[in-house]
Amino acid sequence: MSSVRSVVAAVWVGLYHDIAWTTPVAGLAVRTVAPLASVMTASIIYWLGSTVSGSFDPYRLAYVLVGATLYAHVAAYAWVPTVAIAEGKNLAVFPHIYIAPRSSSVYLAGRTLAAFLVSTTTSVIALASSFFVLGYLFGTSIPLRVSPESCAMLAAALVTNVPASLGLGYVLGAYSLYASKFEWALPSYVAGLLMVFSGALFPPSTLPWPLSSASAALPFTQFIDAARQALIYGSASAFLVSLSYSTAGGAVFLAVGLLLYRASERRARRDGVIDRRLA
Amino acid sequence: MEIRPWLRTMKARALVRIWSQFGEPLWIVVNMGFPVFSSVALALLYRSAGLSSFTGFAILGGVMVSFWGNVLWSMASQFNWDKQEGLFEIYLASPASITAILIGMSLGGIIGTAPSAVIVAGLGWVLFHPPVSASLPALVLTFALTLSSLYAMGMTLSSLYLAYGREAESLNEALQEPVSMLSGVYFPSVGQLSPFPAIIQLAASLIPLTIGMDALRRTLFFSQGLESVWPDLVALAAMSCILLYAASWSLKALENKGRRDGTLTVRIR
Repeated sequence: MSSVRSVVAAVWVGLYHDIAWTTPVAGLAVRTVAPLASVMTASIIYWLGSTVSGSFDPYRLAYVLVGATLYAHVAAYAWVPTVAIAEGKNLAVFPHIYIAPRSSSVYLAGRTLAAFLVSTTTSVIALASSFFVLGYLFGTSIPLRVSPESCAMLAAALVTNVPASLGLGYVLGAYSLYASKFEWALPSYVAGLLMVFSGALFPPSTLPWPLSSASAALPFTQFIDAARQALIYGSASAFLVSLSYSTAGGAVFLAVGLLLYRASERRARRDGVIDRRLA
Repeated sequence: MEIRPWLRTMKARALVRIWSQFGEPLWIVVNMGFPVFSSVALALLYRSAGLSSFTGFAILGGVMVSFWGNVLWSMASQFNWDKQEGLFEIYLASPASITAILIGMSLGGIIGTAPSAVIVAGLGWVLFHPPVSASLPALVLTFALTLSSLYAMGMTLSSLYLAYGREAESLNEALQEPVSMLSGVYFPSVGQLSPFPAIIQLAASLIPLTIGMDALRRTLFFSQGLESVWPDLVALAAMSCILLYAASWSLKALENKGRRDGTLTVRIR
């Protein structure tokens, strides 16, 4: 029970950190413009390429739109443990978390969940805004299915992806406990890797083997595929298959991430590196 | 103004940045991460959309994003961080010219980012072999003027960010992607191929990176020479001068305001 209370407290801290530095509306707006621009950039590139080559397909545009939104969504919250540790060390907050009776993994889970809530909100706003703006710019109708069923399926996919992202966050956090320089650069690598390997912008089969197989096996790829089934193609059976793979992959990611993080935390306590700010 | 102390100040600030970048090779790895992956992903998107000949746009975008990231995180935010570390007040108390410090910081930033940009370009060219048809003198001049106007914009932003406290980082995060999109870093945002209406194209043209990217694409991929891109070059040169003056003026104004209000040495608010 007290772990739940600790997570809720950490969620609250995370929400304050992420959006309460200004008014909530301004905080959300500032966090929305980046994914919105990122989604529009990818969609415009597809539109430009396919229009000039004469192969434009509105379904493919929807494919890129949904993929770009969700890759940005995952990238926006999977790296929160890294930032929470790096920033916490720098501002001397993390040592206080560290000496608390609970494992710092509870705190990191709360911070990640807070970022998930913020990122889900901003991603939905970015998806809806880009749907209208791009439809107007390209003079085409983007075939997205919006119904109570498709929204419920998307919500299920979003929630199912949390363990995988949290697991990835723990893996990066395990490194960040020991790193005292350049750990803040990890998020950009994670975002870049997801952009290439999560099937966000193009089918994984575009990549050469074995990268294509590795990309298809990632829970993030399956999560984005499940969301596409919900919002574009409407195939319940394909949705369930992707969701199952995403859930199974997420469980593996979370278990491995948590094990690594706990081991790193134990060792970091022994070695006394929790407040080391400079290498 | 004496020229020798000014030049020595500029050199000193540039050297600090160059040594810090080249003294730690990991910096190169850190700087190239996102530009490499984003240019590869977007080049693959161009290819999967059926237009392999435009993959060069994505690679050029990756190169310029390295510099744009450097402008935002190592120019615009720098004085704000210097203020938090207590260095900014030392700058102000010394007789050194702030403009010389800013220009030295820019030169150091350009030299420090160059290896990452070269690696992004090299890797992109090796992986995708985009067709290149360059007009070399025009390309070199366009690249130099684009960087000078871009870093002049960074200098102006650095003075504006001094007015903010910790909001500066959130502003940077909010600015990076939208400016990249409007400037057409990865696709033409002005001209015939742009998807934007005329009013947006006009607004985007006020950003130096927009003019620079458009001219770079024309000189690198469509072999347009100086006779075609000279209006862009004039615009870039004018933007550099205006932004440099704006940076110097706003820094002076903020310094005076800070002295009056007693907030010059307030580090975190």
